[in-house]
Amino acid sequence: MNDKQSVSTTINGHVYTADCEPRLTLADFIRHQCGLTGTHLGCEHGVCGACTIMVDGRTARACLMLAVQADGCTITTVEGMADGDRLTPLQEAFWNNHGLQCGFCTPGMLMCATELLESNPDPTATEVRERLSGNLCRCTGYDSIVTSVLDAAEKQRS
Amino acid sequence: MTITEPVQSQTKYTGARIRRTEDPRLLAGRGQYIDDVTVPKMLQAAVLRSPHPHARITGIDTSRARALPGVFDVITGQDLAAVADQQPVIWFPIPEQRIARTHALAVDRVRWVGQAVAAVVATDRYVAEDALELIEVSYELLPVVADLDAALAPDAPKLYDDWPDNVSGSLTYRNGDADEAFASADLVVGGSFSHGRAFGCPLEPRGCIVNWDSFEGTLDVWLSTQSPNLARDLLAEVFDVPVHKIRVRTPHIGGGFGNKFDFYGEEVIAAVLSRRTGRPVKLLEDRAESFVATGHSRDQRLDFEMALSQDGTILGLRGTSYGVLGGALGTVGSGPPWASVLTSMGPYKIPNLELHLKAVVTNRAPYGSYRGWGAPKGNLVHERLIEMAARELGMDRAEIRRKNFPAPEEFPYFTGAIFTYDSGRYADCLDLAMSKVDELGWRERQAEARAEGRHVGIGYSFHIEPSGYGPSRILNLAGLAHSGFDEAVVRMDSGGKVTIYTGQINIGQGTHTIYSQLAADTLGVPMDDVVVVTGDTDSCPYTGYGTGGSRAATLGGAAILRASERLRGKVFRVAAQLLEASPDDLQIDSGTISVRGTSGPSVTTRDVGDAAYRRLLDRLPDDEMPTLEEVDVFDPVNMATSFGCAALLIEVDPETGTVSMLDCLQAHDCGTVINPMLVDGQLAGGLAQAMGGALLEELVYDEEARLRTGSFRDYLLPTATDIPPFHFYHQETPAPDIPGGMKGVGEAGTIAGVSLVASAIDDALTEFGVTVTRFPVTPPRLLEQIREATSHKEGSQ
Repeated sequence: MNDKQSVSTTINGHVYTADCEPRLTLADFIRHQCGLTGTHLGCEHGVCGACTIMVDGRTARACLMLAVQADGCTITTVEGMADGDRLTPLQEAFWNNHGLQCGFCTPGMLMCATELLESNPDPTATEVRERLSGNLCRCTGYDSIVTSVLDAAEKQRS
Repeated sequence: MTITEPVQSQTKYTGARIRRTEDPRLLAGRGQYIDDVTVPKMLQAAVLRSPHPHARITGIDTSRARALPGVFDVITGQDLAAVADQQPVIWFPIPEQRIARTHALAVDRVRWVGQAVAAVVATDRYVAEDALELIEVSYELLPVVADLDAALAPDAPKLYDDWPDNVSGSLTYRNGDADEAFASADLVVGGSFSHGRAFGCPLEPRGCIVNWDSFEGTLDVWLSTQSPNLARDLLAEVFDVPVHKIRVRTPHIGGGFGNKFDFYGEEVIAAVLSRRTGRPVKLLEDRAESFVATGHSRDQRLDFEMALSQDGTILGLRGTSYGVLGGALGTVGSGPPWASVLTSMGPYKIPNLELHLKAVVTNRAPYGSYRGWGAPKGNLVHERLIEMAARELGMDRAEIRRKNFPAPEEFPYFTGAIFTYDSGRYADCLDLAMSKVDELGWRERQAEARAEGRHVGIGYSFHIEPSGYGPSRILNLAGLAHSGFDEAVVRMDSGGKVTIYTGQINIGQGTHTIYSQLAADTLGVPMDDVVVVTGDTDSCPYTGYGTGGSRAATLGGAAILRASERLRGKVFRVAAQLLEASPDDLQIDSGTISVRGTSGPSVTTRDVGDAAYRRLLDRLPDDEMPTLEEVDVFDPVNMATSFGCAALLIEVDPETGTVSMLDCLQAHDCGTVINPMLVDGQLAGGLAQAMGGALLEELVYDEEARLRTGSFRDYLLPTATDIPPFHFYHQETPAPDIPGGMKGVGEAGTIAGVSLVASAIDDALTEFGVTVTRFPVTPPRLLEQIREATSHKEGSQ
């Protein structure tokens, strides 16, 4: 069980290579082996969505994947969103609309909202709520998150 | 020193919708939460928890766990008790209460599922969890007390052998003559209201890193806490270590909600493991553990009745609040059920009161703090009963509320039991909410839906939120073994920039932003010139209670205002020397100081900083001490009671018992609004939590006292599709006893939200005559109520 396997992934444009136990989750690999702690663990059973990342262009829950499954994959985490210190329009919209409080769910929300806006640049409030219904937030009551995503969509379209 | 003059500020920032200074790094994933902190040489721990609700521990064999490669140490309750005292309790509201305390690891008996019995420390968490599986514990099972009725049964098994029963304590508050009021009443309405177990459930579970240096005799602690000073004082008590040898730091907190106010056994376990191994130890609670190890709340039954005259005037209120505590008392003891008794009259003038509290122990997890802290259940009592009375009397729900409010000139208003409300314009707030219901067209939507045969209802809840806990000596008198003041340091440095140090903790509510707003306005400097430092007991001042009791804006803010006001005075005195003017003639704008009404020379705070720290000669007045720093301690003379009126539009499907929340508003008064965007965020978040508690969330214990809802698959937090849009409206009645006039807002939504949902469901189901009394109102429970009401109606026809 403890025989380590080599894992090599590209995360936010950098290649990370490490020998991992097969049981190591991708979330723990990203957080502790790669030092990218922006991906948060809120439940470790795939419900809260805080650990959502992009794997090969699609959202995935890092707590439900093993590191060895990500061998050869291209991953984006929340740290890979901003261009240097310039936030993306979506991040700016969360800032402008109080779309976060404690910030723990935020990385997952940003990932799912990014994916939504890529496929649907002009979503309705209902569509935003449905798309984010797999991501738990305990602070905001969601309304300001929905407003943030709609605001970002509008700015991106104009 | 006392400031008697009101704070004169230019209010450039206060009251403005300013985006938060906290946000960019959080948005970029650069936050630092507890599990993001790594200390050199750190080990990781894990805790073995009892699978049984009540059992004697007859033996623990740790030998196989110890032998696992990578394991550094394994401890049991015996090991821990040799070096640590029992877990502290700080609230003793009931005189001569029996206080059930336990060690952080059970020594000989477990009293709830999930109670910690052993702990492992290893190279990493994976190995530590492997080792847990190798520990063998022998239990001798004991009879179980699963719920309130079981605890109070005459032949109930006892949790504590030396107690006469399972009652921790009882208390009664009387005012006026309740018996007389009920005897002479035209109408008495009553009910048994119950709220299931729930918890704050911050998305980030709790955690700590403790480094016990046996050579220095110090404890260096990273802790996800809302109350670092309390944690430090309690660690000192538990280990008999001097307070100044303990340093508590807080990283970013991924939600607190009161759950991270309390002091937990895990910080003690980690400390013991660190002491024994000589290594820093990280101990995180995983999500599964959080359901049994983070403080539970809300679990309460409230049997109350209200006496009224025919015209709707409330004459009396009486009843009993049963607090369903766990197998040991948590940090706050029976505080929350006690607070629900004290708030059970809510915003209404009720001259005759007889209020009983009974705190009962069961084989459930300990009761702790959760946003609202008792007041949501107090709100259930007055809001449910007044609506039942309105129905009986055929009165409008707003009218009967308005009739019983104290008028603005009746404040300060003594409720009859402990609290004195400082100020209020309740009727104005009610009217504001009602006018917005009209503006939003809810009544038309309801009428249209009803015409289509749909069951759409409008609910209301008026709440009070006693905030700014509180006057230290009164809190002591009420049974708190801790204080309620707040201390702040405001410092201008040699470059003229400002740093605020406070003991308050940022748990996502945005204190860094609002403190910068307050200080920038008071000092007359740009907000960008202000930074806020929190979360380190070595560098930050003392906060009496912690971040809880809606204290951050009120008390923390007031201390910062007063310190900033005094600091501005010194800045002006130094500037006066530089400008060869009188301090009284100066003004400051964006950090530039000049003589009022002239276009003459000016200096900046940078010049003042330089004169106070570096080049003093001929520039700092001879009678001034170098440096620019002021300290303030604010201990309020009274609490600040905010209030609001919420309304909710919902639809109920009587075929399935499901409830859809369509729209929600709240008219609110928290005195001075520092940042409306953040106040709205507090209101929305609180309402959402209450809506979860009203409809979805319950820590269900079965008859064997085993927890049935121990994951997010069955403990249902509300999602974006469950929660409606929100609209907020503010009126501002400044708190008379708080400099700056702020009142608390953090708990408003949780207090109002549960009765709000109930009110809306009742209204939607008017034709069935349903009165919701049990929470959460799950679809099966609501269906049962609808069926009962239907058969009752048919039976009576």
